[in-house]
Amino acid sequence: MRVVIAEDSVLLREGLVRLLADAGVETVATVGDGPGLLGIVQEHRPDLAIVDVRMPPSFTDEGLRAALAVREAVPGTPILVLSQYVEERYATDLIGGGAEGVGYLLKERVADVAEFIDAVRRIAAGGTVIDAEVIGQLLGRRRGGDPLRDLTPREREVLGLMAQGLSNGEIARDLVVTEGAVEKHISSIFMKLDLQPAQGGHRRVMAVLAYLGHRES
Amino acid sequence: MGELSARRTVVDGSWRPLAMAGSSLTWRAAAYFVAHVAIGFGCFVGLVVGLGVSLATTIIWVGIPLLVLMMLAWRTVAAVERLLLRAAFGVEVPSPYRPLPQGRNPLRKLKVMSADPATWKDLLYVGLLFPVALVEFLVVFPLWLATGILTFLPVIVLVDGGGMEVGAGNVSYWAGDPLSALPVTAVGLVLLLPAMYLTRTLAIGHVLYARLLLGPSRSQAENKELRERTAHLQASRARGVDAVEFERRRIERDLHDGAQQRLLAVAMDIGRARAKLEDDPEGARALIEQAHSGTKEAIAELRDLARGIYPAILTDRGLDPALSGLAARAPVPVQVEVDLPERPPAAVESIAYFIVAEALANIAKYARATQASVRAVKDGPWVVVEISDNGVGGAVAAKGGGLAGLADRAATIDGLLTVDSPVGGPTVVRADLPCSW
Repeated sequence: MRVVIAEDSVLLREGLVRLLADAGVETVATVGDGPGLLGIVQEHRPDLAIVDVRMPPSFTDEGLRAALAVREAVPGTPILVLSQYVEERYATDLIGGGAEGVGYLLKERVADVAEFIDAVRRIAAGGTVIDAEVIGQLLGRRRGGDPLRDLTPREREVLGLMAQGLSNGEIARDLVVTEGAVEKHISSIFMKLDLQPAQGGHRRVMAVLAYLGHRES
Repeated sequence: MGELSARRTVVDGSWRPLAMAGSSLTWRAAAYFVAHVAIGFGCFVGLVVGLGVSLATTIIWVGIPLLVLMMLAWRTVAAVERLLLRAAFGVEVPSPYRPLPQGRNPLRKLKVMSADPATWKDLLYVGLLFPVALVEFLVVFPLWLATGILTFLPVIVLVDGGGMEVGAGNVSYWAGDPLSALPVTAVGLVLLLPAMYLTRTLAIGHVLYARLLLGPSRSQAENKELRERTAHLQASRARGVDAVEFERRRIERDLHDGAQQRLLAVAMDIGRARAKLEDDPEGARALIEQAHSGTKEAIAELRDLARGIYPAILTDRGLDPALSGLAARAPVPVQVEVDLPERPPAAVESIAYFIVAEALANIAKYARATQASVRAVKDGPWVVVEISDNGVGGAVAAKGGGLAGLADRAATIDGLLTVDSPVGGPTVVRADLPCSW
């Protein structure tokens, strides 16, 4: 697997390169700012681009805008956006153009090496990984007429894990229940949220987030 | 020179004879008193005729618009008089009028004008203008005339051809030719002295009188002062708020770029070490070493950052040890002199400390100096902090820079930060901070 990295902190960039190398992932190019990302993506056509949100020149959401530019110029390029803080608005921006091959994680998740590498592989394979923190923010919202109100606590939990791109088997393992029980929860959630059940992890995330993102605007 | 004399007024100029003779103010004042009587006469005639006609015709309604025109006319004369006072005596007499209502309705404007006491004080001044100017003329003119004739007698005799007799009372002197007229010039120059002093005294008297009638009243002046003070406070509050926001952003940025990244790198190292523990214990060991030193660096960075937010020593012991500490950490030798009989308020200490910190940081970064000095002394109610270096100069408190932010903070307590840094050096950063505000 070949990746490119856009990250302005040399310390983290080098750490990331070595961490990926340990797992057999090759880093083919790196840049230290937002605008440079598109260039290396077009040149190397990587399996995944890893991008820090806050970079020069503006030190705001440079990386996010670079990621969106890449998605537009080279459609289908899987992108993992890393950020010191996660914001639901950024997440909905990011998956606005399709949730396939999109990841949005807190930077500190890289410390849990095995899970991080797993997320990298899932995104590169076209999956969707959204940080638990974002899901928490979305689920934590309380509003009048909020359809999530009707979910049981268990269903909320399942929806959270589902939104992170976990398969039914993985959710069952996490919650220490049978896969059948998870399936029952999911169909109940879909029913309560009026969503059509669909196959595949990222589709479910897309549906959930699109629904929640829609609710927001 | 021209600019200096323009700023000086007849009230506060020098009283030494030579300085007075050399100052254009003396001659402008004399010219004012001589010429003013003509203006006064014109005003007198205009006022008597104008008011007489309009009052007489009020019965047939024509008088009302005439009176309005008269009011506009005397207000205009008063305005011209204010300009003349500035031209002759160098004094500013601020306009005392109430603000006119916005819009196009002239009747509303006239109503405000006629209800404004300043309008009627204008009328009083214009009405008194002729008698006052006449008295002033009679006091000043003969003396100047005598002074002029006596001083220039040799010239007069030369141009006239014949001789001339000058005298006062029963003393008289015959000047038959320019040479024998020279001693009279000396008498004329001596007379110049009382002429100048008399003119000056009268001018001061006239200024006081004119301010009373043409200037704003005391409560108006106080109101204006209050308005100005309010505007100043609003501006300094805005700068203070900006400075605080700037500080918060800076702290967030420092945390993000510094300790947060470093701790993340440590977490990454430990994560990798954990993954290698079984298969590659040596590699894991090296990573733990790296994480260990990374932790220590993060601690140092957090310590520096905390000190940058507020140094503990400043709270505990005050400016002297805090500034010594700053000096000790500076890369160039810094001489520190602190002479404060008692500790200033905490806000003053804090602002002074951070100004010194920023100035020393700038010296280290840009000045290419070999030495610097820091001075903090009490000057009356002020704490004066001065940082100077022998570097290349050219420093400016650019907007958005650290010094500009500190100037904003100083402004919140009515303090002042100045940067004097000619290209080529030396640079002096000075802050004047009041101890009460």
